[in-house]
Amino acid sequence: MGHPNVGKSVFFNRLTGAKVLESNYPGTTVDFTKGWMRFGGEDVELIDVPGAFSLEPKDRAEEVAVKILEENRDSVVICVLDASKVERGLYLALEIIERGYPVVVALNMWDVAEDKNIRIDAEKLERILGVPVVPTIAISGEGFKELVSKIKEAAPVKIEKIIENAGGVESAAVSG
Amino acid sequence: MEKKLSEMDFDEEGTVKEIEETLRKQVAGMGIREGKNIRMATKQPIKGPVVVEVDESLTSLGLGVAKKIVVEVG
Amino acid sequence: MLKVPLSVDERWNLIEKISKQTVEFGARKHTLKDAIAELTVKPLTGIPVAIAVLYGFWSFFIDFAGTLFTDGFMVRLFDEHWLPWLQSVFPGGLGNPFYALLVDAGHMENGVLVASDNCLESFGVLTSGFFVPFGVVLWAVLAFYLMFALLEDVGYLPRLAVLVDTVLHKIGLHGYAIVPTFLALGCNVPGVTATRPLETRKQRFMMITLLSVFVPCGAQIGIMQDLVPELMGWIFLTLVIGYLGFGFILNKIVAGKSPEIIMDVPPYRMPMLKNIVSKLWIRTSRFLLVAVPFVLLGCLIVGLMYLTGAMDWLATVLGPFLMSWFGVPGETVAPLIAGFLRKDLAVGMLGGLMEQGIMTTFQVFTSVVLLCIYFPCLATFALMLKEENWKEFLGSIASLIAMVLVYGGLIHLVGIMLGVA
Ligand SMILES: Nc1nc2c(ncn2[C@@H]2O[C@H](COP(=O)(O)OP(=O)(O)O)[C@@H](O)[C@H]2O)c(=O)[nH]1
Ligand SMILES: [Mg+2]
Repeated sequence: MGHPNVGKSVFFNRLTGAKVLESNYPGTTVDFTKGWMRFGGEDVELIDVPGAFSLEPKDRAEEVAVKILEENRDSVVICVLDASKVERGLYLALEIIERGYPVVVALNMWDVAEDKNIRIDAEKLERILGVPVVPTIAISGEGFKELVSKIKEAAPVKIEKIIENAGGVESAAVSG
Repeated sequence: MEKKLSEMDFDEEGTVKEIEETLRKQVAGMGIREGKNIRMATKQPIKGPVVVEVDESLTSLGLGVAKKIVVEVG
Repeated sequence: MLKVPLSVDERWNLIEKISKQTVEFGARKHTLKDAIAELTVKPLTGIPVAIAVLYGFWSFFIDFAGTLFTDGFMVRLFDEHWLPWLQSVFPGGLGNPFYALLVDAGHMENGVLVASDNCLESFGVLTSGFFVPFGVVLWAVLAFYLMFALLEDVGYLPRLAVLVDTVLHKIGLHGYAIVPTFLALGCNVPGVTATRPLETRKQRFMMITLLSVFVPCGAQIGIMQDLVPELMGWIFLTLVIGYLGFGFILNKIVAGKSPEIIMDVPPYRMPMLKNIVSKLWIRTSRFLLVAVPFVLLGCLIVGLMYLTGAMDWLATVLGPFLMSWFGVPGETVAPLIAGFLRKDLAVGMLGGLMEQGIMTTFQVFTSVVLLCIYFPCLATFALMLKEENWKEFLGSIASLIAMVLVYGGLIHLVGIMLGVA
């Protein structure tokens, strides 16, 4: 899962060998696509979920994304983030973690982030979040081996734990 | 001075002060949240949508949506 | 203690805390790309750019598909080699029903049945049936999808969506509706599918209805451009006015919400050749899969209707109505029938009628527009059945009939007032 335009479909095509249209505009995938990938000697199902900015749907693509997430309670979620816009990507990743899903975070568009002079300490991020974090460049396939090898390390994490790792956080007075 | 996002001028910058409750959750994932710096990137004529910049991302909002966001400017 | 799930603010506070420890934002230089990203969405600069982009799109479409491939190569191949060759080797000959169906039906000139000299008039399954999809339409569709894939991969479409949102929101649609509309100009079928991201059922219903009525597909445009290049401006103007006008009316009478746009505007990206090629391949092959069987079937059915006299009977029965209401001759019944199956084929048949000189320019114009709007092709129709619930489907059909009668009549009326009908 991830925002629109972060490279989810490129990911999906690489991992499954399927052909899903990749486009540089939001809302391409409202029909999600399922495919199969080889994983640990087994075929496991992979879904190319429509792009979503959060689990509070504001459009149809997000509605579908949330529905798919809810219908697949026992799956591992690969959160594809745009490394050049990590913060808003983390928002969705945290929401998914809060709901108790095992997550692997892919910091995609690593090349774009480098061009923009943004440096991310992926190992430290991994320690704080307690889930695997892998830098990737989907269009060249960089980081994919590592990503796949780390899928089995994904496990649900308590948000309290992340808060503790991050050094605490003030609770807001108004809850939104 | 406070004003609605929809009233901001082209290229004006400000800080997001308040977002209407239902909208708030919807735009939070796009990085638009209270306390954030926001810039009016473009305004379309005859009540068209606005495009704002937050954290180097551009987001397009209908004018009616922009009315629900209050910004501190100047 | 914090409760799960976190509130919006709590989550953002946490993210900021995390990002302070892990992310380092180096010196940020404003690039040319950033400047262009904004200039193309600002009205003052963006609208001229949009016009230039669309004009470039159109020129490429005409030059590449029309002039280079169709006129330069395919027309010659089909009319000077394929057709004469078939006419010489195929058993039966002029007047034989089997020959008429498969190769050349011929036409009457001064009471004599004469052979056709081009693949639009001949109307055989093996001649017109192949010329329309492979001689004209394939190249048009290929050129269209190539340009479209470039535009979408560069990231131009969201900007176009913002620019047109001003107008489209006034008729109850999103700026985003430009994507299905644009895509439908290639083929209505993926256009209808692309309405799925639209937010409310009302917007989808309006979009599907407007699409199927007022947006001609690339196949049809390719053939129209081939036959009546001088009328294209008027045809498009008429269709755009219809689209906006009836959109405005539908927005008033259809219940439901038209929420405002909240859309991310992604940065421009360098398109990847591999992705463009695979898109072209997927879309074009899907197109051929839908189009070719229908074109061949269409040729066969129309051919059979001519042979059995059913077509002449329909022309006599419907002729007076067509003439009085729309101002077009009864002969247009044949293309109108073919148009149920394929619009490109239908326009091609119209071309055949034109060459026989039985229609005025205005009648050609009216029939071409009528062919665009009176019915979506069968493939689109079937998809509408699938995409809409039965109430919406009946609504679409009712709107369609109303729009065709009103708009077709209106065009005739304007023609009469201008003295050209
Ligand atoms: N530079 C760069 N571009 C990428 C990367 N991953 C994807 N893209 C491009 O980003 C665009 C969006 O990709 P897509 O897979 O359609 O995004 P989706 O909406 O998340 O499915 C496409 O034009 C891709 O070619 C990456 O790692 N680096
Ligand atoms: Mg996608």
